[in-house]
Amino acid sequence: MIAIRNLSKKYGTNEVLKNINIEFDKGKVYGIVGENGAGKTTLFRCIADLENYEGEIISNLNPIKNHLGLLLTEPFFFQKITGKEYIQLICNARKMELTDIENKNIFDLPLNQYASTYSTGMKKKLALTAILLQGNDFFILDEPFNGVDIQSNIIITAIIHQLKALEKTVIISSHIFSTLSDTCDEIHLLDKGSFIRSVQKTDFQALETEMKQTTIGNRIDKLGLK
Amino acid sequence: MTNRRFKDNGFEPLLAYIILTLGFFGLSIYLFYKTEFAVYVYLLFALTLIGKLSENRRTEFLKICFGDAQVKGIRITENLICSTPFFAFLLYKQFFLFAGLLLVLTTILALVNFRASLNLTIWTPFSKRPFEFTIGFRNTFYLFFVAYVLTFFSVSVNNFNLGIFAMLLVFATTLSFYSKPENEYYVWIYHLNPKQFLLSKIKTAVLFSSSLALPIALVLSFYFYQNIGFVWLFFIVGWAFLIAIIVSKYSAYPHEMNIPQGILLAVSLWFPPILIILIPHLFRKAENKLSSLLK
Repeated sequence: MIAIRNLSKKYGTNEVLKNINIEFDKGKVYGIVGENGAGKTTLFRCIADLENYEGEIISNLNPIKNHLGLLLTEPFFFQKITGKEYIQLICNARKMELTDIENKNIFDLPLNQYASTYSTGMKKKLALTAILLQGNDFFILDEPFNGVDIQSNIIITAIIHQLKALEKTVIISSHIFSTLSDTCDEIHLLDKGSFIRSVQKTDFQALETEMKQTTIGNRIDKLGLK
Repeated sequence: MTNRRFKDNGFEPLLAYIILTLGFFGLSIYLFYKTEFAVYVYLLFALTLIGKLSENRRTEFLKICFGDAQVKGIRITENLICSTPFFAFLLYKQFFLFAGLLLVLTTILALVNFRASLNLTIWTPFSKRPFEFTIGFRNTFYLFFVAYVLTFFSVSVNNFNLGIFAMLLVFATTLSFYSKPENEYYVWIYHLNPKQFLLSKIKTAVLFSSSLALPIALVLSFYFYQNIGFVWLFFIVGWAFLIAIIVSKYSAYPHEMNIPQGILLAVSLWFPPILIILIPHLFRKAENKLSSLLK
């Protein structure tokens, strides 16, 4: 379990996160949605202890960062390091022995090629594979479906279901609603640094309809498409 | 951009350029004083440095900004400007043939496209413990080859200094693996506290650099037995500088090493015992810097 109490984060005078209070339970999958700049990535960075913040983050996994698999929106890769070496590096960092990597390469990545030559989707799949092999208890997946092909999207969805079955805690952000409704137990709406709404699985359909109406409105008509 | 970097580090650009110029000529004179093969090393070093400008992504960026037609001219001009100090020094030493060769090779380098080699994965003996030596070896493997060839020559012409130079070339090359700070993610992921993290980095560096330098040290110890003490003294000094560069890198983390740190390391080149004080000082500073990322 991870509990966030009165979390605020400022960059200079710009308050990016405002008094966030939320709990993430074991064995549940949480979706965080919000417009670009709503504060999702900053929230994830605070949980990962990559940022200083006001408030507190309490967990039975202490320190959280040593039990956390963090998939960044745009994972950074060194030049001239192969996919296999990247996984080795990530596992070494957590003192995990890497065995039978070929069999665990479920996305069929060219592991002996330099990771920097991979496409966007391949890079994301490599970074995901690496954090899964670290044996984490807690996962933050920042836009895991972004740039990934349909087949791999299906696999990632199945992985998230499996993580839930294994009693892991998973937090996902995505700009594709269907990916969240397929995987999450709860969805939380982040707007200008505050959680404005929390929705349970039974109400996902209503939330999607509402979001479409609010977001689209009469914007398309303004284009005057003919 | 260079001026801005000097100013960021609290240096007046003019003063920095004077120090760099003096340092460059000082080291050049020292190299030519130390070994008769200096001109080859000098040429290789100049081309390696200038070759960095031929990086594919950099060239692509220039192409986007200036178009294909202008890029060739810009690249040749860049390379010629960068080769000027080396060219001038070679003329001063009256190595006219080598000065001409430098100009020709510099111009050719400006036109070279490294794209074809990008997809080729170079084998490395350091795959199991990425990333510094894994990447560093791939970028500089030919320098190790040069060092081993120089060791062979040092034995065949009975020149101990050349052998020591070859060994120091290996250590100097491995120092370059630690010159830039990595993305914070690659520090954050470690399940280690700052002290354990630094010791782990040092252990890997000492182990891997030794595996590259040890063949040279053993050959020199065998063929120049009367100087065996010097061989192992230089070996230990090589380790000390490697450790110094690692703690120095993380003492400035996440920023690049600053100029005062560079000067301190340069001073310790002239008087290595300074490292006895410098390394523990930088280690504590590095521990402090890393404490926000490692718990």
